Amino acid sequence: MFIALILAIWAYYCVYDILGPTLIMGFRPLISAFVTGLIIGDVQMGLLIGGTLELMALGVYTYGGATIPDYTVGGILGTYFGHQAGFEVGIALAIPAALLLTQVDILNRFLNFIFVHRADRYAEEGNDKGFDRMMVWTSHIIWGLSRAIPVFLAIAFGEAVVRAVSNFFGSNPWFNNGIAVAGGILPALGFAMLLKIMPVEKYPAFLLLGFIMFAYLKMPLVGIAIAAVAIALVYQQLKYRSQEG
Amino acid sequence: MTTAEVTSRKLTRSELMRAFWRYVFLFQCGWNYERMQSVGYAYTMLPVLKKTRPDPEEFKEAFITNLNFFNTNPVVGAPLIIGAHIALEEAGASLETTEGLKIGLMGPLAGVGDTLLWALYNSIIFSIGSVMALNGQVLGPIFVILMVLFPYLAVRYWQFTWAYKQGANIVTQLGGGVIARVTEFATIVGLIVVGGFIPSIVRLTTSLEWTNVVTVRGEEVTQTVNIQQQLDAILPYMLPVLVTALAYWLLKRGKSPIFVLVVLLLIGFIGGALGIFAPP
Repeated sequence: MFIALILAIWAYYCVYDILGPTLIMGFRPLISAFVTGLIIGDVQMGLLIGGTLELMALGVYTYGGATIPDYTVGGILGTYFGHQAGFEVGIALAIPAALLLTQVDILNRFLNFIFVHRADRYAEEGNDKGFDRMMVWTSHIIWGLSRAIPVFLAIAFGEAVVRAVSNFFGSNPWFNNGIAVAGGILPALGFAMLLKIMPVEKYPAFLLLGFIMFAYLKMPLVGIAIAAVAIALVYQQLKYRSQEG
Repeated sequence: MTTAEVTSRKLTRSELMRAFWRYVFLFQCGWNYERMQSVGYAYTMLPVLKKTRPDPEEFKEAFITNLNFFNTNPVVGAPLIIGAHIALEEAGASLETTEGLKIGLMGPLAGVGDTLLWALYNSIIFSIGSVMALNGQVLGPIFVILMVLFPYLAVRYWQFTWAYKQGANIVTQLGGGVIARVTEFATIVGLIVVGGFIPSIVRLTTSLEWTNVVTVRGEEVTQTVNIQQQLDAILPYMLPVLVTALAYWLLKRGKSPIFVLVVLLLIGFIGGALGIFAPP
């Protein structure tokens, strides 16, 4: 119960972090799972669940306001349940949890209209003190609770589900293989989403260059990123040379 | 306007910072489908408006106006608009002018901010951090946190103060193709990085083998052909490329990300359960 409460508070902070200060990107699964791992004393599980979910989710965070599976909560629950029953069980529960909460996100973004209408009233009255109070104390409540409550309930009452899932896994190894392969290919969605917002047809050569650097030249990711900056600089220098004289 | 009025409108440094910290701590709280970041924007500007519009009626009007629809990238974009808006308020600009500034800049800056920060910078640091985390290194998430904590605050503070100094000039400063050029730069870096990340992060290999019994000089010999090796000989990482291409094609055809997610889950799960694909 105590752990459920602490993790619910952590879920609340993760959501608040992206709404406000964006200090640690707590809403990304790598961070939400890692800190969950620290809280429950199983850092390795947090790293595994967080890294796996993060790579699946990569690319879905590309434009603001989009509704996406809630990998934040997925990371927290996945790490917690993974610690109890093993990595496969954790991942297998994290993904459906993230999908289920997609709908909750739509609901809370809708319900937040309450604040804008109350704000209109404060503005009509010229009541800036009341408005400030609303912002500081309540403006994040719907968003925060919409994640904190599911985390609390799942951890406080989810034990039976976890036991059932983990028994099923134990007797059906083929299921593990299915989950593992699916986890490996899900990052394709993230990259496809990134590519969709980029003008691939206009600059196909750059995509190929990146592929060659990894697949044939075996460069590490950081190296590819640095090379990419260099290539973009050279490209723009040549392209805009005439304008700058 | 007399000189005395101009000086009374001028914000002190602490008043300026008050607006900045309001922006930092609550900018997107209360985000809603109807007017998106409007309440956070009004919250940021209230102490400024209170100072620049001492007349209660004028203040009220500005309060109402600043609750209009607003949405841009909260980290790269919003501080520029807020900083320039504050400078215009100090200069005694009308509400039409300041609303024009907000509406004119929020769209283009959302595009630049989302591409530069969400799509590019974050994808790079989180890919690197995740790969480290999967190798069991605690440094993975810590690296990401460090790459967010200070750079984000610094870049927000820098935009805010720069835009405040520029004031109305910001529109000309950001015009002249600067936004287009920055976006192009980000696009090129992004495409190269994604080109490298697809084969390194998407994992799909087949465990199929093709066995063939041939008779060589009267003896039966079983030949086993490893399909994955054959694929690698044609193009390394062929399956990850194909599956990413499939996801891209589905998205381009207007399928929702959730639909594509389910398709990929099914392909992976069924293929893995039947033993067509090898677990990574």
